[in-house]
Amino acid sequence: MKQIIGRLMAGGMLAALALSMTLHAQEFKLGSRTVQVHGFASQGYAYSNENNFLTMNTSHGSPAFTEGALNVSMAVTDKFRVGGQGYTRKIGSLDDFRPSLDWAYGDYKFASWFGVRGGKVKTVLGLYNDTQDMTFLYTWALLPQGVYPVDLRTTYIAHTGGDAYGRVSLKKAGKLEYTLYAGVRSFDNREGYYYYSAGGGFPISTIKGRMIGADLKWFPVKGLTLGASGADLTAHRTGFLGKTPYTFDSNPNRPLAGYANYARGKWEGSFEYRYVNNYEDISFGGATPIHEDKCTRNWFAAASYRITPKLQAGFYHSSTNVEAPTIPTNTASNHIYDEVVAARYDVNSHWDVKAEGHFMDGYGDGRQTQGFYKQWNPQGLKPTTNLLMLRATFKF
Amino acid sequence: MKHLRFIAVIAAIVLCASWQARAADVKVIANSSVAATSVSAGDIKDVFLLDKDSLGGSHVDPVLSKGGAAHEAFLKEYLGKNDAALQAFYRSLVFTGKASMPKSLASDAEVVAYVAKTKGAVGYVSSGASTEGVKTLQVK
Repeated sequence: MKQIIGRLMAGGMLAALALSMTLHAQEFKLGSRTVQVHGFASQGYAYSNENNFLTMNTSHGSPAFTEGALNVSMAVTDKFRVGGQGYTRKIGSLDDFRPSLDWAYGDYKFASWFGVRGGKVKTVLGLYNDTQDMTFLYTWALLPQGVYPVDLRTTYIAHTGGDAYGRVSLKKAGKLEYTLYAGVRSFDNREGYYYYSAGGGFPISTIKGRMIGADLKWFPVKGLTLGASGADLTAHRTGFLGKTPYTFDSNPNRPLAGYANYARGKWEGSFEYRYVNNYEDISFGGATPIHEDKCTRNWFAAASYRITPKLQAGFYHSSTNVEAPTIPTNTASNHIYDEVVAARYDVNSHWDVKAEGHFMDGYGDGRQTQGFYKQWNPQGLKPTTNLLMLRATFKF
Repeated sequence: MKHLRFIAVIAAIVLCASWQARAADVKVIANSSVAATSVSAGDIKDVFLLDKDSLGGSHVDPVLSKGGAAHEAFLKEYLGKNDAALQAFYRSLVFTGKASMPKSLASDAEVVAYVAKTKGAVGYVSSGASTEGVKTLQVK
């Protein structure tokens, strides 16, 4: 019944999105204030030569890559804004069109150097965390999965709590932008954490956690952004291994990011390094927890060039390395290196299409959520994967 | 040596003239409710990149042109972004709830008409456009 209601809600949302697209009705008046409505819908197709990727049956070609969002927002006063966004997607078995509240918050800006937001707020972490699902912003059909994994979107993208933010001028040294945040994390039982735990024989019954973090961006000269982010996250999982109850804690899980972006003329380059330290304790039937320290070192470097006003081409390298005493030293299972070539064509200001080739080496640790899952690869994982990704997006 | 100096002076004049010509391609206009009569290039950039929402103590909202020579000149002169990058920038704010999409109008006449009737509106038009009913801000 829940599933039917969920699908009906998702259908309703997509119908509203389609209606908005038809009407191009992007704003209306509420009293003297303007309410804006924006949205996007995106459809992808993925085809791989070997392993199935992101819970899709990509080795046979899969169109199960759909996502969309619809948002409404308004400035209640010159200083106070409210808004919210609904989001739905089906990427293989990720989410299955279950609609979710992506963000919904009130934002009071006292001055450009200080404002506060409260509600469900997008989390600023690294270059693109809060905008990772806005495919229309990027040259790429898929962002570097080592740093922005599609299968952990819900886990990182927003927190229910609050932000303090602002931007200060450093005169000739440019500008500095800060964000401080704290809140409760969101989890989705049709996403990576659940699937990799189930694949490892540890299905999750419950999961909860919180996040505290900060981000600092510096804009020293025109076109250049330099930044650093850090967060302190927790995840407390419970479940059963057979009939034995277990608890599994990540306390804390600490992502640290350093990043840069430079845009000049037709060129844009970006780089991000993400180090995640994870302190894990697992306990069976209330016994003394078994402790493991695990870390991942992920990074990407990307460059794109606008060949014509409508056509862009680009390349990136994404790297994921997993380190832990118990992780096999098999060269394919402790890393994923992904070389990507991409092209984007802007049909008009509302439509864009993309084609992208991924050449992946390795499939990562079986207990990590990095796109390759045992359940969708029962024949066993091969050491390399080539993937073609096509994507069309409408936004307004 | 004399020739070199002469060439350097001529080059400087030409450079200066071409810079002024680009700046003069666009006029920045505002609704009469906006207290400021002059603005810096930095203020214009801050207003249109939504970093700043007041000029001379008055609340302001930027208004864009959808395309054309004035739009291209304005982006190049003041914002340092091409149109695609600017639209992506606005969308990144709109889809995270941090800002509204600025109003975008098809012609100079529409921009002038909208700015004239909308409290706090700040826009830009080509230098030859009629700006009746709005104030032209001097760029310092």
